[in-house]
Formats: sequence, C-alpha cells, structure tokens
Amino acid sequence: MAEPTTDPDAADPPRTPALEAPDAPDAPEAPDAPSFEPEPAPASPAPAPPAPPRGYGIGLSFRVLLTAGLIVAAVLPLAAFGGIVVAARLYSDSRIVGPLLIASIVAAAFFGLLAAAVAVAALTAPLRRITTAVERVAAGEPSPPIHLTGDDELARLAESHNRIAAEAARRNRELGALLEAIAGYNPAGGVEALNSRAESDACAIFSLIDCRLRLVDPATVPTEEDIPGDPRPMRADVRAGSDTLGVLTGHLPATRAWERADQDLLDLFASEVGVALRNAELFGQIESQNARLLELDAAKDEFLRGISHNLQTPLTSIRAYVDQLRASSDKAGRDRRLQIVAEQADRLTRLVRQLLTVTRLEAGVLRPDVEVIAVGLRVRRAWEALNAGDVAFELRDEARGWLAVADPDQLDQVLWALLDNAVKYGGRDGKVEVEIRSDDASGRLHVTIADHGPGISDPDRARLFARFTRGAAQASGDGTGLGLYVSRQLLRTMGGELRLEPAREGLGAAFTLSLPGEPPGDEG
Amino acid sequence: MDQHRPRRILLVDDDQSLLVVLSEQLSDDGYEVATARDGQEALRRLEAGWPDLILLDLMMPRVDGLALARQIKADADLPIIVLSAIDTADSKARLLDEVAEDYVAKPYHYPELRARIQRVLLRLGDRIPRQSLVLGPNLTLDLYRRAATVCGTEVQLTPTESRLLGALAANLGEIVATETLLARGWADTEEAGPSYVWVSMRRLRQKIEVDPDRPVHVLTVRGVGYRLVASREDG
Repeated sequence: MAEPTTDPDAADPPRTPALEAPDAPDAPEAPDAPSFEPEPAPASPAPAPPAPPRGYGIGLSFRVLLTAGLIVAAVLPLAAFGGIVVAARLYSDSRIVGPLLIASIVAAAFFGLLAAAVAVAALTAPLRRITTAVERVAAGEPSPPIHLTGDDELARLAESHNRIAAEAARRNRELGALLEAIAGYNPAGGVEALNSRAESDACAIFSLIDCRLRLVDPATVPTEEDIPGDPRPMRADVRAGSDTLGVLTGHLPATRAWERADQDLLDLFASEVGVALRNAELFGQIESQNARLLELDAAKDEFLRGISHNLQTPLTSIRAYVDQLRASSDKAGRDRRLQIVAEQADRLTRLVRQLLTVTRLEAGVLRPDVEVIAVGLRVRRAWEALNAGDVAFELRDEARGWLAVADPDQLDQVLWALLDNAVKYGGRDGKVEVEIRSDDASGRLHVTIADHGPGISDPDRARLFARFTRGAAQASGDGTGLGLYVSRQLLRTMGGELRLEPAREGLGAAFTLSLPGEPPGDEG
Repeated sequence: MDQHRPRRILLVDDDQSLLVVLSEQLSDDGYEVATARDGQEALRRLEAGWPDLILLDLMMPRVDGLALARQIKADADLPIIVLSAIDTADSKARLLDEVAEDYVAKPYHYPELRARIQRVLLRLGDRIPRQSLVLGPNLTLDLYRRAATVCGTEVQLTPTESRLLGALAANLGEIVATETLLARGWADTEEAGPSYVWVSMRRLRQKIEVDPDRPVHVLTVRGVGYRLVASREDG
C-alpha cells in the first residue's frame, strides 16, 4: 500500500467516503459505481463502512473498518432501543409504551439489518476484487494491481497478489520479446552475427547487465558463485537436439528476483538460439559448397570454351586448305581422300559446337535469332553435308510453301544430329525417311525423321533425352552422347519441341521435331 | 564508287596459317588483301590507308577484337565482318551489333563468307544509320542496335529484319524491289526465294505496325516490291 492512490474519487476532497452500493455487489471494481450518502444516518461521526471502488480516500485498513462496521451494526440499534426504553419509563404512559416498544424493536431490527447488509457488502468488496484479480491472473490475463490500505492480512494478500501478477506480466513480456527475437534469426547471416545478436537479445529480454555466448563445452566454463549483494550470475547451456553447442552466461542486477520460471525461460531461449546456430552452420556449409560448385561449373564452362576455341582454330585452317586444294585443280577436286578430310573436319567441327552449345544452354545465354527458313531445303542440305552416300534417303514435303521460324544455325545443328543418329543407328543399308507436315490450326510445322533400324528399347526410351546417354546397344559408339539433349533444348529455346514417336512394327526410331511456322506468303 | 577498282579487305586474325589460306582464297576472287596478326598491327595498317572492309577475329591477343572494332568505328565508319569462334548464341555477340555489320562463325564455309562479304560491300551505299529514325508518332527505328520503338514499347529486330529495314530506310519513300530486298536480306540467295521476303515483311508488320492489317509505314507495291514511309497517322 505504499503507492499513492490515483483514484478520481480520492482526489475529490468534499466527498465523504462513499459506501459501496449494496445493490451493486457484482461490480466491485467498477470505478464509477454509484455511491450515496450513508442512509442509516447515525448521528455519530463514526466512520462509515468502507469501500469506494478502488483504493481509499482515507487510510483505514480492512481490520479497522471491520471492527467499526460491526460496532455500528450491533451497538447503534441497541443504543437506540435502550433510549426508547428509558423514554418509555419516563413517560410511563401504558397506552403508548406498548406500541412504542414494539415500534422501536421493529425500527432497531430494521436499522440493524440495514447496517449489517451495508457493512457486509462494503467489507466483502475488497475480497471480491482480490478474487477476481486472482482468477484473471490464473486465466493468463493481465491484472491491474489492487490497492488496499493498511497492513493487515488482506492488504498483504493484495500485495502478494500484485507481486505475482507483475512477475507473470514481466515473464509474458520476456516470452513475447524472446519469440520475436527468435523469429528474426536469419541463418543466412552467419554464425558470428547470430552469436552477437543472441547476446544482445538476451541482455535486452532478461534485463541482464552483461551476457556472453561461448561456443565451447560448458564444462570448460566454471560456474560463478552467487555472492549476495553482487550481480547475480546465471547460465544456460545452448543445445540443438542432443548436441551441446555452447553456454550462455551473464549477470543480473543483485536486486532482481530469479526464479525457476525465469531459468526455464532462459533455457528455452538458449535452446532456440542453439537451433538457430545449428541452422546457420548448415546454411553456411551449403553456401560454401554451392559457391564451390558454381566455381567448378564456371571453370568447366571456361575450359570447354577455351578448348572449343583451340580446337576450332586448327579446324578452320584445315577446312580452308582442303577447300583451296580442291578448288585449285580438277584432279584434286575429284580426289576422294580430300573429300574425306573435309567431311571429317566438318564432323569434328559439329561435335565441338555441340559441346559449346551445352555450356551455353546451361548458362542460359543462348538466344536464338529467328528467321524464316524453308525446312525442306535445309533438310536436304543437312543430308548432303552428312554424305551418307550408301544410305537411301526420302524426303516427303507435305507443307510446300510453308516457312519455319527458327534460328538457321541452331536448326542445322538439330537436323544434323537427328540425321546423323538415323544413319548411325539405322543400319548401313537402311533407309532414312523425312516427312514435313504443316498444322494449319496451330500454325506449326512438324518434321519426322525415321530410320529402319532396330528401334529404341523401352529402358532407353526413358532416358533418351538426358545428357551423355546413348542407347545401351551403342554404348561404345562415337559421338558426344549430347545430340538429342542439345537438339531438344535448342528447339525449346526456339519455341519448338522434339519428341520420340511410339515404336511401330517394321520401323526403327522416329523423332518428330515441331517448330512455329508461317503459311505460304503472298505478296503484301 | 569505282566499280573497276579491286575492293580492299583488311584481314585481322592471330592464326597465321588461316591468314595465308584465307588471303589466297580472297585474292583468287579478285580482292586486294592486307593482313594483320593483331590489333596493333591492324591499327598501323589503317594509318597507311583504309580498306573497303575489315574481316576481324574477335579473340585476338593484345588488343581485344571488340575493343579494336570500337576503335575503328570511332575513327572511321568502316564496315566490319567479325569472323570468330564465338557464334551468334554467345552473350558477347550482342555487343557485336554495335560494331559489326555481320559475323561468320569459325570454321567458316568459304562460299558463305564470300557471299556475306559481297552483301556487305553491296550495302556500302546504304549503311545502317547510327541515329534514331523517327517515322511517325508510333514508330522509331534504331537499326544500329536492332531495335524499334512501337507506341513507346521497344521491340527487338532480328538481323534480317534490321537489314531489310535498313535497305528500305536508305531509300525512304521509294520503292525497293523484292529482288533487291532478297539480296540485302539473305546472303545465300540460292536457297531463299521471294516468299522469304513476303513472309518476313508480314512478320515485320506484326512487329512494328500498330494495325498490321492497315499498315502505314511498310507498304506493299504489288508486283514490284515495298516502300517504307514516314507517316503522321497514328495507324
């Protein structure tokens, strides 16, 4: 009851201590509960029974008030009754003594009951307030402190309730701050940043003087002795699962209470910090692994680019010299050997380009420059460049006049890879068939390239378009194993698609590529 | 320009063996060829006299090919064909649009290279303008960076589209024959036919006309060719 009351009623000096209205027992805490002047109007200046809703204007304890109330309720009616008996004796008029006595008994009983009811209502008001407040705290709700005057049992009860409520409210605040702090821990920040943040958070949440988080075995950090009057040491192990990562130590102001519930809260904080630290560690490991992989990947791409350039330089010369030799004389022009050198140089060039395309596809830097192209001519040219003279070739163009919309260089790469596969896997005396169709509705062109080889086995079909795979039967075959992968990816960057046709009796593997197309154009 | 004077080509490449064979091939076709093995040598050669065209390898030691091309373009607006192991798919290739008229991937096919040289030399008269060309409230062309701005939105043009527009823009308002456009747009005219021009012009209209069915800038002259006109109309 040390705190001065701030009640508005108390700040209103002219008003006499108001009685709690007996008909409002359920609103003991209502600050504006109606009050009225004492009705029994005993002339004595004896203090009226207590209880303005909150606090007391004049400092009288519950015990004093109870005593005073009982006296008022028991003695006043008795005194009044006695007075009337004495008066009756004085007048000794038997006609009026009888009724007067009866009337005075009735009046005394009435006033006694009234005074008792008022006293009980007023006296139980603080009890009700304490009960309500305790219930609120028990339900986890905040409870404003109860102010009772005096130093008796009830005042001490209120005081101890106030202390418990204040501590519960403080722990609630600490828990809220703790949860907020934990939610803000970002594993991407790194272990050290997290460590210093956890230290400052612990100081802020638990109002510590200092705090240190050491990622060492807790056994190596000696426990400090608690010397009364000195800042009070505290500590909590930092755990993540079953692992102990370190220990959190710090000091509390000597005046601060530190109870089991506070230690529980600190342990909770420490274990959450432990989990966050473990996450940060793992995150850091993944980050560094990721960075390393990216480095390796970049190095691989750089290597491939470099080697492609270094391979292409001599190939360019070889090709140019062969062309020049073949052009310089008729005899050399017909020389089959020179022809083979030229073809093989072209083949190597295509393989090198395929490797380069993979690195570009993966880096996402490939961007097609689309033009309009007559696919039929392009297929025929690709076939001729392949120079598979002994393999029969049939081109059926059902989409005459249509032009595909594609990057010419990239389309050439695709056609070459698919035709090369058809020759390679179609058997030497097989026949390669190409059919071009248009789909007017979707405005697309479809090109199917089919061979008459053994076809593709079911297990192979599933992984055909993956990188570095070949049909099992040709595991030792030449080529990079990239042809179908590169072809499909190239087509997709051009808004096209490549798919394998279902197996058919009597036919080998058949692939269909589709591309955006333009119907035959007329002028204008 | 004097049609009888042999065209001069400066060939810049760090591969000596390629310089020998390519200069022989070009000489056989009647070009006057000078060679340089690196950027510094190329700049010295340029001081002595300007060629009609420069054939440049992008990956040269000492002066980076791109830097050299920029330097040449800053000094004199000479046409440049980049001959490089970098193909058009490379991220660096975008940068070439600023400085190069065309590029050919290594290993090259000589007939294709020759066709491209001829095409670039043919276009000497109608070089791609370096400034924006405002054709109306809704169309501005920036052909040197292969872009057009249509109603405030920038669209990218393909190399062929920008070549076709370049040929049309050089004769703004005049009719350009379909055959001429075919020759300017495609190096290999054996494969390409008039329908290439027709379809490309149709696609171009989709890109740069506000209403492709009622074109106001790219107009067809039936049976002859096409005209590019400036128009105040909103299209």
